[in-house]
Amino acid sequence: MNTAHIRNFSIIAHIDHGKSTLADRLLEYTGTLSAREMEEQVLDQMDLERERGITIKAQAVRLEYTAKNGEKYMLNLIDTPGHVDFTYEVSRSLAACEGALLVIDAAQGIEAQTLANVYMALEHDLEIIPVINKIDLPSADPDKVKREVEDVIGIDASEAILVSAKSGLGIEDVLEAIVQKIPPPQGTAETPLRALIFDSHFDSYKGVIAYVRVVDGIITPGMKIKMMATNKTFEVTEIGVFRPVMTNVDMLGPGQVGFLAASIKNVKDTRVGDTITGADYPAEQPLPGYRKITPMVYCGLYPVESSEYDTLRDALEKLKLNDAALVFEPETSVALGFGFRCGFLGLLHMDVIQERLEREYNLTLITTAPNVIYQVYKTDGQVLEIDNPSKLPQPTEIDHIEEPYVKATVIVPTDYVGAVMELSQEKRGEFKDMTYLDSTRVMLVYHLPLSEIIYDYFDRLKSSTRGYASLDYELRGYEQSKLVKLDILLNGDPVDALSAIVHQDKATYRGRQLAEKLRGIIPRQMFEIPIQAAIGNKIIARETVRAMRKDVLAKCYGGDISRKRKLLEKQKEGKKRMKQVGSVEIPQEAFMAILKMD
Amino acid sequence: MNIGLYLHIPFCRQKCYYCDFPSYADYEQYYVGYVDALCREIAIQGSLYSRQDVDSVYIGGGTPTVLSNNMLAAIIESIYKNFRLTSAVEFSVEANPGTADYSKLKLLRGMNVNRISFGVQAFQDRLLTAIGRIHRQKHIYESIEWAKRAGFDNINIDLMYGLPGQKIAEWKESLDIFLNRDICHISVYGLKIEEGTVFFQLQQTGQLELPSEENDEAMYEYVNCLLPDAGYRRYEISNYAKAGCECRHNLKYWRYQPYVGIGAAACTFINNERRTNTTDVIKYIEQINHRQSAVEFVERIASDNAMAEYLFLGLRTNEGIDLADFQNRFNEDFMQRYGSIFNKMKKIGLLMQLDNRILLTYQGIKYGNVVFRSFLPN
Repeated sequence: MNTAHIRNFSIIAHIDHGKSTLADRLLEYTGTLSAREMEEQVLDQMDLERERGITIKAQAVRLEYTAKNGEKYMLNLIDTPGHVDFTYEVSRSLAACEGALLVIDAAQGIEAQTLANVYMALEHDLEIIPVINKIDLPSADPDKVKREVEDVIGIDASEAILVSAKSGLGIEDVLEAIVQKIPPPQGTAETPLRALIFDSHFDSYKGVIAYVRVVDGIITPGMKIKMMATNKTFEVTEIGVFRPVMTNVDMLGPGQVGFLAASIKNVKDTRVGDTITGADYPAEQPLPGYRKITPMVYCGLYPVESSEYDTLRDALEKLKLNDAALVFEPETSVALGFGFRCGFLGLLHMDVIQERLEREYNLTLITTAPNVIYQVYKTDGQVLEIDNPSKLPQPTEIDHIEEPYVKATVIVPTDYVGAVMELSQEKRGEFKDMTYLDSTRVMLVYHLPLSEIIYDYFDRLKSSTRGYASLDYELRGYEQSKLVKLDILLNGDPVDALSAIVHQDKATYRGRQLAEKLRGIIPRQMFEIPIQAAIGNKIIARETVRAMRKDVLAKCYGGDISRKRKLLEKQKEGKKRMKQVGSVEIPQEAFMAILKMD
Repeated sequence: MNIGLYLHIPFCRQKCYYCDFPSYADYEQYYVGYVDALCREIAIQGSLYSRQDVDSVYIGGGTPTVLSNNMLAAIIESIYKNFRLTSAVEFSVEANPGTADYSKLKLLRGMNVNRISFGVQAFQDRLLTAIGRIHRQKHIYESIEWAKRAGFDNINIDLMYGLPGQKIAEWKESLDIFLNRDICHISVYGLKIEEGTVFFQLQQTGQLELPSEENDEAMYEYVNCLLPDAGYRRYEISNYAKAGCECRHNLKYWRYQPYVGIGAAACTFINNERRTNTTDVIKYIEQINHRQSAVEFVERIASDNAMAEYLFLGLRTNEGIDLADFQNRFNEDFMQRYGSIFNKMKKIGLLMQLDNRILLTYQGIKYGNVVFRSFLPN
């Protein structure tokens, strides 16, 4: 097929603004899937995604559409992840497109996440088609949203398409706009192959399935290919497209989107953003924009039952096959025993992995509080990257510490500007900019330590703005901070897994709060448990979990025995999530307590 | 092996504020029908266990003595008619002060009931009112007096501590009164707030004032020092008796021995199976009258659960667990299976071994659930 009849596009939308529903309608309208075959939100494949209503892995699907001009078009919809953790993946998906639908909720207007992705799309010179969704809502105000698009993003919104993805209204207009407004792909079949990898998944029969957008040249089965970032070569065993079921084809040419399999054993070899070229006639330059993914957030994962260590390792290895962003290495904690230090793109990524480990591999895990990577400059000139608070050197050996900072963009109704500023200030934020989007909404820009975002910035942002604020952030770089290690001692013994790196000025306050919080979390046991918070050798807070005075079933007769056994079973079940550290039983949530403080 | 027989009378004048047992107030209209059905079930069960000797009978409730003399007589007669009772049978009936007059007690004794158990709970009218009991102090004295006059020498009273507003002095007073009454058995329960009770509701809305944990513990310790000194052996976590007056029927539960339960909510435990009748009185009457089984719940107890139950019941008694008996019953060596748990519990001072027996320590009794939980299968 001529590239003139190909359109590659993605959908940019804030969570809940109706991206998945719109995608469903497009599939349905073009007959890619019959209504009967439609599962709701077909593009979100994992259960977890469906439950959380977010897209974690990008998907791609080919639609065939006969336009009003009578011509037949091949439309490739490349779905993008909708969360700040996956910004890089979003950028690669966008790079595979020539245009994007910007879906905005007619009642809600633009949100920070949308804005960040639109800017990214504009950077890639994508044609943006504004689509105003949910126009059937009583509170819909499409004119206001149009003005916002023009004022904030600076693109013409006069031809914005009004749709209701839920009822199917305006779907044909969307398809026509895709055909008419989004430019066809450039590129020729004669030049050496260059194909962009924008996603991949692991298939136990075929190996890694790489999702690709061909820019130049062609791919055919049997062809030898080379990954330009890793220089590894493979022989293509299969190529195909998503309709949305994987369907084999004989060739993928310029502008086309599809998948390839080449007996690749590890997703590490199909890095998102890498360029695939021909091994025999390689291209001179890779496609721009590749970068190695680096985790932003680290935490320890430990099995509650030490016997599950091997299962955990196997499970992590299996998940890694499908997730190049996940990194892990074994570590040992005095308190928790053998486990793994794992790196994630962000908190959602961490949550998802943890939940998949527990759900799909039936593991019971202790997760330690997530932390960022600190760069520690030692007095002897050495520079250490610290991904675990307990590994922080002695204060006397430290010259200074640097921590990662982000540029955070918050969009919020004007009424809450004060609240956001107060919160950001408290979180060591540095005010950078404030712009009125219209008379009712403001965009604030702050430089903030990433660690504060991980702590509770987002939750508190949501609660102090009654859910109206939206947040996006990008990493800026490392800056020097006055940081110290906060230790927790239970029964007089330090528990390494409860240590945290905190800002000096807040250390005492945090220590007190954490000790108090732990007193509420650690269940009473047969003996009194002192909880102490310490910085260096100085105890800054002390709390006590009082001893339980009695714990025995008073009555136990005839018919009551099954019931009493079940009662004991229930109590025992409650203890399963606890880790025995020394003589103290610590529930899993204790290790996350530092995140949940106000 | 001989079996025990339990009969449940699910009726009370008034539901006590702490009670979550299957028992109902204002059910007088069902008494006749229930007693009929009960006698019918006695006949059915009797035919099933005709080869077994019964060496303990326990009529519990509820309040069995809310039934009329004729009703009680009918029930007891049908027991004698349908079951083979040993000559030394222990025959207990639960009674609440205020519902058992002399003629009733005399009738029971006359039918060879030889043990009577009074739900006294407290000797202070203030506390009795506060927990929803219908009786007053004077009724307790009357009942005990009448029971003795009727010829009962094996008498139990139940007492509770940790009651709302209860003072340590009142607890001591109650125990003093008990000791002065020459009664050979006492059950002592700490109040526990169960879901679905009046107290639970009050607690949820912050209207229940219980003694402090310190005082609750002090009452617990007091009774455990006082009674053994007065010659009452603590033969189970909550039960104390003069030598020879231990309740044989209840010991069957803790020794994991077989028993047959008859009546609504009653439970049968035989051949590793626990069968529980419906707790719904009306349904019970209907089903029995339609010659259907009233069993609502059957649990076939898997061996790991059976071992755990055997252990947590046996450990409740001062006999503890006999390792040879464990081996005989389960064909498994206790130490081989539970050695590491035992050692852990021994290390923290909750279990001990005496010759061929495993026992809770004094501390172990107090934290019994820690031990009990540890034996449950994972």
